[in-house]
Amino acid sequence: MKTDTTADHFQKRRVQTARPFSHWKLVIGHFAAVMCIAMLIPPAHARINVTTLPGRDSTQLTIYNSVDLTMVRETRKLTFRKGVNRLEFSWANTLIDPTSVEFRAVTQPDKVEVLDASFPPRVTNTLEWRIASEVAGEIEVEIRYFTSGISWSADYVAEAAKNEKTMGLAGSVRVNNNSGEDYENAQIRLIVGTVRLVEKIAELARRDGKDGDKPMTEQLAAPAKSALRGQMAAGFGGAVANGEALARKKEVVKESLSEYFLYTVEGRDTIPTGWSKRLPSFAAADVPVTSYYKFEKERWGDRVVRFYKFKNDKPSHLGNEPLPDGNVKAFRVATEDKLYAFVGRTNVKYIPVNEEVEMELGNDPEVRVEAKLMAWEKTNLHFNKDGNIDGWTTKETWQFEVQNSKEIDATLDIRRNFAGDWTLATGEKFEKVDARKVKFAVPLKAHEKKVLTYELTTRHGTNATR
Amino acid sequence: MKKTLALCLFAVLTAMNSAHARVKLVALPERARVVVSLTNPDATLVEEERILTLQKGVNHVDFAWAGVNIDATSIQPRMMADADKVLVLNTSYPPNENALVWEIASPDAREERVRISYLISGLNREVVYKAVADGTETALTLRNYLRLRNQSGEDLTDAELNIGYGASFKKTIAHEETLEMQSEKIEALPMKKVLTWDAANLPWDPEYEKKTVGIPMSYVIKNDKASKLGEHTLQPGKARIFIRTKEQAEEGKPAGEGVAFTGEDWAQLTPVDREMKLFIGESRDVKVVQRKMKDEKQNIRRNNANNPVLWDTDEQFKIEIENFKKTAVNFVIVEHIPGYWKMAQTSVPFEKKDAFTIEYHLTLPAESTGAKKTTVTFNVNHLNVQGNEPAAF
Repeated sequence: MKTDTTADHFQKRRVQTARPFSHWKLVIGHFAAVMCIAMLIPPAHARINVTTLPGRDSTQLTIYNSVDLTMVRETRKLTFRKGVNRLEFSWANTLIDPTSVEFRAVTQPDKVEVLDASFPPRVTNTLEWRIASEVAGEIEVEIRYFTSGISWSADYVAEAAKNEKTMGLAGSVRVNNNSGEDYENAQIRLIVGTVRLVEKIAELARRDGKDGDKPMTEQLAAPAKSALRGQMAAGFGGAVANGEALARKKEVVKESLSEYFLYTVEGRDTIPTGWSKRLPSFAAADVPVTSYYKFEKERWGDRVVRFYKFKNDKPSHLGNEPLPDGNVKAFRVATEDKLYAFVGRTNVKYIPVNEEVEMELGNDPEVRVEAKLMAWEKTNLHFNKDGNIDGWTTKETWQFEVQNSKEIDATLDIRRNFAGDWTLATGEKFEKVDARKVKFAVPLKAHEKKVLTYELTTRHGTNATR
Repeated sequence: MKKTLALCLFAVLTAMNSAHARVKLVALPERARVVVSLTNPDATLVEEERILTLQKGVNHVDFAWAGVNIDATSIQPRMMADADKVLVLNTSYPPNENALVWEIASPDAREERVRISYLISGLNREVVYKAVADGTETALTLRNYLRLRNQSGEDLTDAELNIGYGASFKKTIAHEETLEMQSEKIEALPMKKVLTWDAANLPWDPEYEKKTVGIPMSYVIKNDKASKLGEHTLQPGKARIFIRTKEQAEEGKPAGEGVAFTGEDWAQLTPVDREMKLFIGESRDVKVVQRKMKDEKQNIRRNNANNPVLWDTDEQFKIEIENFKKTAVNFVIVEHIPGYWKMAQTSVPFEKKDAFTIEYHLTLPAESTGAKKTTVTFNVNHLNVQGNEPAAF
């Protein structure tokens, strides 16, 4: 069994991997050997280990989108001796939370036990486990930790048909790796949901007891572009070499998990630090969509705002899973040869299964509403015992000129907010949304104009009965 | 600074088993077509088509846009021939670079037309109107121009430019180039010249003014079929108005024709069947005097402390208008009447624009001055006045 110093080991690893920056290391040694050599050299340099560098057998990333948190789980095969073994784990230049690192034996778990874990003095980003093993030989172990710097987001492309009655909806997930660590051939799992963290992982990563003042992100070397492009290419090549480059889209398997949803991307992916990767998550065709326009002065002033509404359910060819919040870009097929017109972009909220969702896509000047007060009257004055006015009634006559300048039909949703004791008189159909809000749904044919009117009577002061 | 969009094609055969087996193929396929959609004022959409030479298996296509203002999240490839066979597996984005790499799976070696769409900033359009009125100011020749400014970082060659109406234009526009092109020309478009006197903005008695009062003059056109328009919404933009003039005859030559500039305004968005009113100057050949001839409170109701708490009014107005011009004038008087009111009497009919605004639309005869001046009177009663009446909504 060969021994060398930790410094030698660091050098060796750099040489072995030829990577632009060092990452975490796993060093295993026999407790007895360590003790023996420690006696021969001064205490400050007493950490001497037998070096074995088992490669990661598997890596799994579970990435959360609501907080800056990724759970990394990796397995390695280590050779243990019977007795107490020392295992060193270090993670320079990454954003790992030291308090989260856990060790577990996958094979023979009842025979391998962690006695303690120590964070040695004067050494940064390193911990040592003392592990008691009842057996000698190869054992598969799992190491699990939290890191910050990896995130994922969902985005969608909506492609409305020319008549805006149906749309194609394609969802993608995009993973961004700014963790300082390259994750090669990793299984990627994405969590849709809101978890609670009482402390931020990035802060915990910074707070390692020795280097607390320097934010870890500043320590992350900014890798040269060319090196990364080369590295990514190598990553692709590697995937090909492993026979994992599927000539089809990877499936994203979705399953429900407590209050969360777990997306597992089929196969394995390589995402070097600094890179992002976007993968298709689902695509649904012929999703029924309602295109409509809203006018509500209190929200948007005189602007008419366009919406697409759809339902995340089976009849809409969706509904297999909740849709995570994300950015949507909406296009409309404008020509026979399928050229697009850009409709708008927006963010959608998290959409549970069977929920109806509306996407706000911005102002469309081709649908116009002009609201005008045409008459105002004050009547039914009431006087109190002092001769002052304490009750009166107003009547407002409103006129809405609406115009659809588009080549396709449109539905207009006009909302009006009223205060106090009011009554509405109109020949138009309306819906009372709540005590203070009414809604007029106005269907408009292509190039159609209409005029809507209503009279609003409001009783003030002592005239009010509610 | 010339910046380019580059599309490189790398192909990797799935059968290859070496990490170094990435074969760099034909790289840089030229754009086969570029379409620019300027229909959405918030963002310009570019769609370009390129012929990709794909190998069987997984291909890597590198798309880079150094120096071009593209919204990276908007880039979307669409296979035009076999979208269900040629698949985009994933997209990778390198750090600190305007670039991406697509993994595209092809069932066989083939050429595939791909349409790449993206939103670009810095490529903006303006609509500009130029009109020449004839000497009688009853018709004009309207030219609509589209002015494109390209600050996107991208040179667009033979791009089909679509503005949402009419046919598209095929033009080349380089980065930092501004291109103006005529999109429409309408001859003999009927127009109306109108002077508008607004009682809220202009002095009631010019005698007390040091300068002659100018009355806003507007040209009004209607976006309808009768005016040879009415096909689409007229977009907002600057309108410059000229008027045809006779040039002085020079020696030995007949008198030619020229133009004079009469003013400009920002044209508002004008849907079909609506009027576009362009305020381009002032007229000082029409004089307006408005006086309140009667202003009385009636039906005063007092509280126990003898303070008035409610009343009606009886108000009479007289407007006298003199036209010194040798031609008749379309004239609009705008009056603002707040609160709850009833018109008791008016000498000519008015048009109610909203609860607190009325308009008189008059034709002032040519040279109607002195005894021939035009007079409008109206008598309005405000009802149930408390002194806090609304004047706007």
